[in-house]
Amino acid sequence: MTSLELLNIRKSYGGTRVLDDVSLEMDDCEFVAFLGPSGSGKSTLLRIIAGLETADAGEVRLAGRRIDQLPPGERNVAMVFQSYALYPHMTVRENMAFGLRNARIPKDEIDARIAQAAEVLEIKDQLDKKPAQMSGGQRQRVAIGRAIVKQPGLFLLDEPLSNLDAALRTRTRVELAQLRRRVAAAVIMVTHDQAEAMTLADRIVVMNERRIQQVGTPMEIYAHPANAFVARFVGSPAMTLAPATLVDSDGGHARVKLSDGAEVGTRIAAKALPAGALRLGLRPEAVSVVAPGAGTTDAEVQLVERLGDRTLVYAKLADGQDITASDQGNSRVTIGQKVGLSIDGAAAHLFGPDDVGHHAEPAT
Amino acid sequence: MSVGPQRDRLGVPALIGVTIGAAIMVTPLIWTLLLSFKSNAELMRSSAAAFSGPYTLENYHAILVGSQIGRWLLNSLIVSLGTTAGVLILSSLAGYGFARLDFPFRRTLFVLVLLGLAIPEQAVILPRHQFFAVLHLHNSYPGLILPGLVAPFAVFFMTQYFRAIPVELDEAAMLDGASRLTLFWKVLLPLTLPAQATLGVFTFLGSWNDYWWPLISATTSDRFTLTVGLASAQMNYAQTSGLGFLMAQAVFASIPILIVYIVFQKQIVRAMAGAAMR
Amino acid sequence: MNADGRARYAGFAFVGPFLLLYLVILIYPLLLGIGLSFDHADLFGARRWAGIDNYVRLLADPVFLRSIVNTIKLALLIVPPLTLIALLLALALNRATRAAAIFRGIFFSSSVLSVTIVTLIWRFILTPDAGLLAYGATALGLAPAPFLSDPSLVIPAVAITTIWWSLGFPTMLFLAGLQQINPDIYEAAALDRAGKWTTFRRITLPSLRRTLLLVVMLQTAAQLQLFGQVQLLTGGGPGGASRTMVLFIYEAAFGRWELGYASAAAELLFVLVLAITLLQYWLVTRREPER
Repeated sequence: MTSLELLNIRKSYGGTRVLDDVSLEMDDCEFVAFLGPSGSGKSTLLRIIAGLETADAGEVRLAGRRIDQLPPGERNVAMVFQSYALYPHMTVRENMAFGLRNARIPKDEIDARIAQAAEVLEIKDQLDKKPAQMSGGQRQRVAIGRAIVKQPGLFLLDEPLSNLDAALRTRTRVELAQLRRRVAAAVIMVTHDQAEAMTLADRIVVMNERRIQQVGTPMEIYAHPANAFVARFVGSPAMTLAPATLVDSDGGHARVKLSDGAEVGTRIAAKALPAGALRLGLRPEAVSVVAPGAGTTDAEVQLVERLGDRTLVYAKLADGQDITASDQGNSRVTIGQKVGLSIDGAAAHLFGPDDVGHHAEPAT
Repeated sequence: MSVGPQRDRLGVPALIGVTIGAAIMVTPLIWTLLLSFKSNAELMRSSAAAFSGPYTLENYHAILVGSQIGRWLLNSLIVSLGTTAGVLILSSLAGYGFARLDFPFRRTLFVLVLLGLAIPEQAVILPRHQFFAVLHLHNSYPGLILPGLVAPFAVFFMTQYFRAIPVELDEAAMLDGASRLTLFWKVLLPLTLPAQATLGVFTFLGSWNDYWWPLISATTSDRFTLTVGLASAQMNYAQTSGLGFLMAQAVFASIPILIVYIVFQKQIVRAMAGAAMR
Repeated sequence: MNADGRARYAGFAFVGPFLLLYLVILIYPLLLGIGLSFDHADLFGARRWAGIDNYVRLLADPVFLRSIVNTIKLALLIVPPLTLIALLLALALNRATRAAAIFRGIFFSSSVLSVTIVTLIWRFILTPDAGLLAYGATALGLAPAPFLSDPSLVIPAVAITTIWWSLGFPTMLFLAGLQQINPDIYEAAALDRAGKWTTFRRITLPSLRRTLLLVVMLQTAAQLQLFGQVQLLTGGGPGGASRTMVLFIYEAAFGRWELGYASAAAELLFVLVLAITLLQYWLVTRREPER
């Protein structure tokens, strides 16, 4: 039972800064996702924790013990690589036993752990096969098994679902969630897929441009994105960000006007807003399709995506501003049609010129 | 003329050409074989006797009983196997070092090794001969094996092969607590077995057929390798006039290398293809 | 940081053994050889500074000069036919049939034999009194040609022997090069209605350019250093008609004990081989667009 601390991690390659003063604290048995686009520094951070790279400055502690000076094998950390990195010339059993043998664990103990992990991961009859004889999904389970038998204090998963096709991905997502309940350790998962992070993690660390943008639970991040980047990165389709100007603050709540003249009343505290250009953030579920003239504003439909349970309507306002709306599954909307859009101001967000997000106050 | 990988049959002119060519390739070998099965006395009168019987095994008998060819064969085996083992060990270690480890001057040293590929034998063989004479290394197994261990191509080959192994395997092994040596010995080296086989056969062949160095380094006939011994037999032919015996020696000397060729044909072809990739 | 400190030098432990041998047995003699060429030295260790004396003497030595001519003649007589035949063979045998595999095996088999075996075999093909070719000639009513004792025939004889011996390797290289050509290109050419000759000239040959260069470079370098065949088949004769540069070096060093003189000749050969190889490389690659 351990907890991870990252203190002011900094890393550069040559002249390029890759990680800028990153700090984080994790509880034991927590599942944290490092979420971000490629180049955000998330993989580098993972590798620094694993010991495959060294930070230029900062400390890494696990269960109070400082590990950033230790070789990877002594950190009590296990990693599942994106490409699995199974030893091709060894059987599954030998793959899983390798690390334990190096740690001089007695043979009986090794056999016991392997048997148990194989049972949990349902690879018992694969134990004497070589990786080349197995499918991608099976290989991943072996890679996970190799990590489990080490009984580490921290699991590191590098893009575990990227290599899998869609069907396998969903199934593995479920397996990972179940697995997490069985191991008594913390898990860090690196991914660029926000859906993965949202469904699996207790907390998400959103990273961009070498810095942590926000740390929070999936719901916090979804409902209260700290800045415009997080707002657009999390949630699919992305939140609409439309330029808006403050017109009034009735009852302390901001009322803004969009570029086409329509006005939207929000529940955001007006006095917290900075001066300058604002952007109104609207998730598709906050914008519904109505008859022209019957809503907050009118728009022309550019694209329609029928998902079955709902329909996504991509539209343009009179002045050309893009906006995404959500309609029911059997919507009859077509391309080119003029529709009315009803905006739920209570669910709206506002972003200032510094990109910081401001959100609706909870109803009293 | 065929112009690409064809799955159909050869055109007739090409087929004729290739068959004639193959006949030309094989005829000298058959001629030699025929000669080896004739008695020396008959051949003294006319070597055309080879075209008709009687054929005899007396030359081969003489080889197995009397000549030094057995000794030469043993020397060749020791030298070639020793060279091959040495090259495989040294070039695997060096290849791993160049491919995976970072140390000062690594790139410079690697280029230095590559430059060795351009150095022809005659630029070093005379001074090496003198150098070895000072060290009293001539006419000995070490003297015959050591020069063969200096194989820049082998190091280049193994380095490229190690480089092709994904680095994630190293990283996984490090997380598994493996030391550098364990990583090399238990994880990476086993993955290079195909390359070892190819390089091994290639080195063995080259060492077995080496002529110039053993010629000047082995001075007494009991240290001759097969290749050199056969040359001395050829030069003594005028005195012995045993044509059949001479040819039997040639056939005898060919057998080991032809066996290696047939058994390891795949590796040899792969080594050639590997050289083409340079 | 920590383990890195030790790890930085661990690499030396791995490359060290090879590098040590490399320096001692290759680089050191290389430098020593250059030094020797500027000395009057004999095989027993006596040395006297000679400056460029050896080189001057060499360039005025008719035997040496003749050996240069012989060497170049041989290379010119061997490399073009060898390359052409190897290319034709590779084209004809580049298929997956059992017959092709057997033929490939046959054409490659001569290459695994040592030079002493090859010269033994060919001596008794070429020699006019007991050789195979002699019988063939008399059967056709011609006089058997004295290949090994006629100065004008001896170099072609060595050339034929060498071509017979050396076919395997270049053929393999061409085969490997052919197999690297993307088969889609041929299908595209077929769709463009290209005939066999056009396809060969415009598609196969240009794709083989690198391989062709490699084969020519390697073979030229190898044949310029031809030694065993002339030492054993002809002894450099008759009358020095087939003495190559390497044979000259060998005779000077181990026949007359003139180590310095021989070293100078070796250095000159080294420079010749290097120059010709680089020239070939430059001639071919300068017309290639920058990659």
